[in-house]
Amino acid sequence: MLEGMYTAAAGMAAQQSRLDAVANDLANASTTGYKRVRMAYRDLAYTAGTIGGTNALRLGAGAAASMIGRDDREGSAQETGDPLDVLIEGRGFMQVKLDGKTWLTRDGHLQVDAQGRLATGDGALVDPPISFPKGTTPDQIAIGADGTVTAAGKKLGQIRLVNVANPAGLDGGADNRFQATSVSGAVSAAPRTTVLRQGMLESSNVDVGDAMADMIDAQRSFELASKAIQVSDQAMEIANGVKR
Amino acid sequence: MERGLYIAASGMLAEMARQDQLANDLANASTPGYKADRVAQRAFGDLLLSDSADGTTVGPLGSGAAIDKQETDLRQQAMRDTGQPLDLAIQGDGYFAIRTAGGVRYTRNGAFTADAKGTLVDQLGNQVLGKNNQPVKVTDGAVDATQVGVFKLANPVKQGDSYFTGTAGGQDSGEVRSGNLEGSGVDPARAMVDLMASMRAMEATQKAITTIDSTLQLTASQVGGLPG
Repeated sequence: MLEGMYTAAAGMAAQQSRLDAVANDLANASTTGYKRVRMAYRDLAYTAGTIGGTNALRLGAGAAASMIGRDDREGSAQETGDPLDVLIEGRGFMQVKLDGKTWLTRDGHLQVDAQGRLATGDGALVDPPISFPKGTTPDQIAIGADGTVTAAGKKLGQIRLVNVANPAGLDGGADNRFQATSVSGAVSAAPRTTVLRQGMLESSNVDVGDAMADMIDAQRSFELASKAIQVSDQAMEIANGVKR
Repeated sequence: MERGLYIAASGMLAEMARQDQLANDLANASTPGYKADRVAQRAFGDLLLSDSADGTTVGPLGSGAAIDKQETDLRQQAMRDTGQPLDLAIQGDGYFAIRTAGGVRYTRNGAFTADAKGTLVDQLGNQVLGKNNQPVKVTDGAVDATQVGVFKLANPVKQGDSYFTGTAGGQDSGEVRSGNLEGSGVDPARAMVDLMASMRAMEATQKAITTIDSTLQLTASQVGGLPG
């Protein structure tokens, strides 16, 4: 008889996950190359409610939320003029290496590290590595649409653009870096249409208006489920009142 | 007399079951493609009472209530634009077909994604079937909405996980819209009012029980008691 309470509690838990996801999206509304999280909701198992009803009555067990990957639409381009900023136009990622592991990222805010190597903002090296000769100034660096990196007219290497069959299945997300999994499929070369644009960055694809509306909806749904718990509780109180 | 106790108690149990059902509706107030339930109570069979002294008929006596009918409101709900190419909604009649381990299931919850092979799957990773009963290919993060199958389903029954089962009946007329999700069929205001009404009904039934109880107490302790 206490099922109603747990049913509503499951609904609250689902809305809580949604609020967490929206809060994270909003926090990353201006993170370069951030992709908003996609959540999906479903109802849970149904069982025959034999107490107080016949077998025709089927009682559900609430709702559940699950993350189904990320919204991989491109964020808008933002002109920065910095020669070490690159925007990936089209589908795909840059391949980088950190701590011996290969990662994928769309965060094109690059830098030259202390050893003169091309790296991302958090120190992951572009893979295969590209080193600049000593004394290279940023304005000598040119990054071509195909990823070719030249300094003062001399070709130094090429930034590798890759893609996976299902970007929604990529693992990670911390520091804007992702790893291929069995769900995402293996890493392969990005399509030819994917190009780099120097001097630009990709904005976060979080739409603040949408995210706020989603948050309000989640909060109200949370409240509704909590009211159902209160009513179940009152019903129990009434039932307890039968024996004075 | 004690018959009344059980009649009232059955009413309380039916109200509790109704509240459990409403709690499920409210928990799914924002589940895409969720269809709300409506329950109906039925009285148990009436008993015909007659006067034991002269045999004249007194009238019928109800023997309680139980919920014996549940209907799912299958009407299409308003669509919500999400802009996400893998969010699909059906404009009109029909269901998406999903190939699960337990056979083909049907749903109107179109929050889909892609798997490692680049085929369209639902949130649990089960393949969505196309018009030709084959998996649907996802290209560059989008699907051709006209290739996604819309199927007819008679007598749909909820299975959980947004799935329905029923009698399949070939293609249906609905049109798949990409970038949209169908809203939940729960009307929160109506559900709250139903919940309040149910609670009050339960309270009233409880009062009936306590009243019958006091009468029984009087019968037991005072009838036959000698004054002084």
